[in-house]
Amino acid sequence: MKKDKRYAIVLDTRRCIDCKACTVACKTENNVPLPEDTCRNWVTEEPLRGSYPNLGQSFAPSQCNQCENPPCNSVCPTSATGITEGGIVTVNPDKCIGCKYCMLACPYDARYYNEETGAIDKCTFCIQRLAVGRIPACVETCPTKVRTFGDLNDPCSEVSILLAKNRHRVLKPELGTKPFLFYLI
Amino acid sequence: MSLINKKLSRRRFLGMSSCTLATAVVGSQVKVLHALAKNGDVTSPQRGKDDDVFTSCGMCVNKCGVIARVRNGVIEKLDPNPNFIKSRSMLCARGNAGVGVVYDPDRLKYPLIRTGKRGEGKFRRASWEEALDLVAKKMNEVAEKYTRAGVMFASTEGTYQDHFFMQLAECFGSPNNVRHPTLCLSSNIQGFMATFGTNPTPDVLNADYIIMSGANRSEALITPDSIDMLKGDGGRRKLIYLDPRFTRTAAKADQWYPIKAGTDLAFVLAMINVIINEGLYNRSFVRENCVGFDKLVPHVCNYTPEWAERECEIPAADIRRIAREFALAAPRAIYYHGRRSSFMANDTQLRRGIAILNAIIGNWDVKGGMVPNSRIKIGRHDYLAPWYDDVPDRLDAGSVAYLSENDGAWVPFRDRVLAGKPYPVKGMMVYKQNMLASVPDRARSLKMMDQMDFICTIDITMSDTAWYSDVVLPEATYLERQDPLESIGGILPVVVWRQPCIKAMFESKPNIWIMKEIAKRLGSDVAEQFQFTIEEVIQTQVKGQPQILKALQTRGVYYEKTDPTYGRTLGKRLRTKSGKVEIYSEKYAKKGLDPLPVYEAPKTTPAGKYRLLVGRHAFFTHGTTSNNPYLNAIMPENTLWLNTEEARRRGLRNGMRVTVRSEVGAQTLKLEVTDKIRPDCVYMAHGFGVLSKGLRTVYGKGGCDAALIGSSYDKISGNAALHETFVQIERA
Repeated sequence: MKKDKRYAIVLDTRRCIDCKACTVACKTENNVPLPEDTCRNWVTEEPLRGSYPNLGQSFAPSQCNQCENPPCNSVCPTSATGITEGGIVTVNPDKCIGCKYCMLACPYDARYYNEETGAIDKCTFCIQRLAVGRIPACVETCPTKVRTFGDLNDPCSEVSILLAKNRHRVLKPELGTKPFLFYLI
Repeated sequence: MSLINKKLSRRRFLGMSSCTLATAVVGSQVKVLHALAKNGDVTSPQRGKDDDVFTSCGMCVNKCGVIARVRNGVIEKLDPNPNFIKSRSMLCARGNAGVGVVYDPDRLKYPLIRTGKRGEGKFRRASWEEALDLVAKKMNEVAEKYTRAGVMFASTEGTYQDHFFMQLAECFGSPNNVRHPTLCLSSNIQGFMATFGTNPTPDVLNADYIIMSGANRSEALITPDSIDMLKGDGGRRKLIYLDPRFTRTAAKADQWYPIKAGTDLAFVLAMINVIINEGLYNRSFVRENCVGFDKLVPHVCNYTPEWAERECEIPAADIRRIAREFALAAPRAIYYHGRRSSFMANDTQLRRGIAILNAIIGNWDVKGGMVPNSRIKIGRHDYLAPWYDDVPDRLDAGSVAYLSENDGAWVPFRDRVLAGKPYPVKGMMVYKQNMLASVPDRARSLKMMDQMDFICTIDITMSDTAWYSDVVLPEATYLERQDPLESIGGILPVVVWRQPCIKAMFESKPNIWIMKEIAKRLGSDVAEQFQFTIEEVIQTQVKGQPQILKALQTRGVYYEKTDPTYGRTLGKRLRTKSGKVEIYSEKYAKKGLDPLPVYEAPKTTPAGKYRLLVGRHAFFTHGTTSNNPYLNAIMPENTLWLNTEEARRRGLRNGMRVTVRSEVGAQTLKLEVTDKIRPDCVYMAHGFGVLSKGLRTVYGKGGCDAALIGSSYDKISGNAALHETFVQIERA
């Protein structure tokens, strides 16, 4: 990986049908334990809008926001959390003591305690796939192509173009975490 | 509104409480899977230790392209095959969960012979030799006593190896094979075949206007339709969705109408009425390509939008507007005809109505319209079935107007087995069809099984049907066997196959092997027809077309074109008797059936009862996936949906356990109070309430729809009618 990359995912949630393909793909790719609450990524059914028969509903896929200022990083007492090239926030399971400070610090609730490894775990944009030139499993598998992955420092990348062309937002911008998960509006 | 509020509260709870028992138990299942994959039960891999294997998914009917990532002889991950045009480079939750099928601790591992009473679940391990000897002996005994028709063959469809099972049925000499279409789409096929002489594919990708009646494509995923449906280009496309439920498709639709269940034909006929009365139909297409339009005109004159409004509870003004918009968007407009069907006993006529509506706006064989399928021709593995003189006609012969000789009609077939008329059926061979969960009225299916002298089931897990069998034979999963080629028709036809990614685990065997071994034991007449290998079958299929095999080996899929061809059938004879689109069906008239679709109002819901609706999810296929650990974790049980107002009126609360009772059975499950359903209906997902304790993940969870649905069926196609059942509910 070159130093000057800055990875991001852009999500077009209008296309999301809550089919959970991303969640299962992630679980099989990253050996994430099975329970629904134990996951690196997830899709939330947003509350129903209106009342019968005038209804509307959206679905919200989410995961670690790979923040530029990740609050999880500063609270870690063992320096298990780190930031790799490309801006990916990682956890070193050998250093992690499972204290869960980072889980509480994360405003996006993106971390979980992995019973099997005894360490905190989270999305890494499938760093192992990036290393061999592949895209994250959730992005690749998504049936309706809600997700686009790429390098924001490359102005010609699909993510850069999407963000240049469309209005978008990040989650909880007021916290100053500078997330790199972008939602098209 | 925060995107992650709901998530946050759940996650935090778990985080703070360290670990719950459920987490510990279920979580460790991944370890079990991996341990299973690595312990001594796994024979060494057939191919190199590390390999990427092109194959095709076996989790549902779609057969999408898959690349299996095999590392150290273990399938680590299934990824979508980007070359695979039909599935548009994606893999759904079920496809991704395929690794959970191979390494499922609940897999059938070796042949089993029942030792206790039927359904008691007591089996002993047997050798293949012993089990196969017993199966052949029992088949011959039944044949001797009741003729060869006394053994029925129930088969799934689309495993790529079901051909060999059908061949065994034919060579053994039984006409009684029953397959899944009458539990699924036979009314649909019948309705469209009668009209167009073929069952076309809607060109969803290029359509500007789509109307879906209950064809819930965001949840009942069909590739590529489900994917294409959402590829609208910036608001050009319009999706109108009719369903008594607010589904995920409704959430994506431009308009959702909670249509009164079973009244879709009223809506369709009223649309035809408007399109004809306002002269919006395609005159030249109708004149040149259709017969019977003149009879349609008076037929629909009373089916006005005002009349339809009373039937289907969709405002007349909206029906009028939709009809106009639909005709205006033509020919890039489709009234999507669905797939899993048969809501009601007159379902074929609904499908005919939909076909006719599509025809009169002339969206036939054009971009964005209904396109007749093309198919890549491959060779056929042939055989000569022996002839047996004393074998009678099919048991269900004459039970419905158009019976498919290849598929039979499940519900009337079962009725006749139970009646023992016109002759007894006492042996049952089952290949991967879980009829106890899929055929309505489970109690009757159990009765049918009870009266059998012998039942053998071939499957990969202990389905309910296997649980009630005498001999259970373990098949290798779709990721462990070499399957023959399959030519899949469509707008862009493909040829696919399956390759073994790892060597078959435990003692499981591919169906072809099982069939050959049984044939060997049935006598030389049958055995002679099974003297072939899978390689020979494939060589026959690709004879003269070596490029197919090469493409499959190097890309995992073979196709001849990536752009659709439209208009191939225009100006040519269609495969109907008149050679044209048959709006009026002489064929039906001659059989005494309504030659034009006549509306029949659904039965009125009795006071205090609800119409039971069933349906699917994007993460489940019928009943075969609910035990999959990855998928079960997403939805561990089904619930009964009840409208919020209705629940309030009845004093029922969300999460309460309720007993649902119909005329044929009762089930207890959790109530889900929601605005997402009409007040006169309740809904439950399929695939739960299993009887088999061999399905440990799902056992004891939710309720079984097949235990509640009555035996109503469509008299034209034989398709079971899944939405004709009324239920009452009470606190459990």
